[in-house]
Amino acid sequence: MEPEPNQPDQPARPALGKARAIIDGLGGAQNILEIEPCITRLRTEVRDGTLVSESALKSAGVHGVSRRGTIVQVIVGPEADVLAQDIEDQLAAEEDQF
Amino acid sequence: MALVVGSPVSGTVVGLSGVSDPVFAAAMVGPGTAVDPVRAPGHVCAPVAGVLRKLKPHAFIVVTDDGHGVLVHLGIDTIRLDGAGFRLIATEGDWVAAGEPVVAWDPAEVATRGFSPICPVIALDATDDVLSDHSKHGPVEAGEPLFSWN
Repeated sequence: MEPEPNQPDQPARPALGKARAIIDGLGGAQNILEIEPCITRLRTEVRDGTLVSESALKSAGVHGVSRRGTIVQVIVGPEADVLAQDIEDQLAAEEDQF
Repeated sequence: MALVVGSPVSGTVVGLSGVSDPVFAAAMVGPGTAVDPVRAPGHVCAPVAGVLRKLKPHAFIVVTDDGHGVLVHLGIDTIRLDGAGFRLIATEGDWVAAGEPVVAWDPAEVATRGFSPICPVIALDATDDVLSDHSKHGPVEAGEPLFSWN
């Protein structure tokens, strides 16, 4: 049977939903300057630190957030590499739309 | 049976509160402890037996057969060194015995480059209450027990 086209998106990989949620928590794709995985954390640099929502990141299921100005570290556990790749993919896909 | 996590380096156990990185100090990555290594060239050893799930010059994760992951981080913010001063002995994906050398380095050189060589040893996806002895401080030899994971 064909899946209902209008069903709410159930991501095939949970990580993709999480990647999306982290991008949003960091203030959206336009706000992310750099993202780099480091074993258990994502080291990110954002344009505007005030757009970062710690509560949104926590709801995305991250272990913790550490910020110093525009440098935001998102602690995600050992899946950091995979998650960073998913985020990069989503950022690239969004850029293509412009 | 409790998993005994051994010290990856010889030095002084200082606890996570002795780590300058707030992420480790607040146990955001997980509970555990930290060892301030002796300032001499040496090996960083596997804290437990298992598979080297991740291996970077400045950090690695060993996952035991029953799924306990232990992170060893060689110094603080040392990703910035981009591998300089570290030499990989093992390969990612290898099975290593507890105490087997994984990386060669010189903590004195790390310190000279302006980084803290303190090594956090973290029980991944664990809570503080399942560890014991992780609040002990004092001298330790590589391979000696750091804490137990119940």
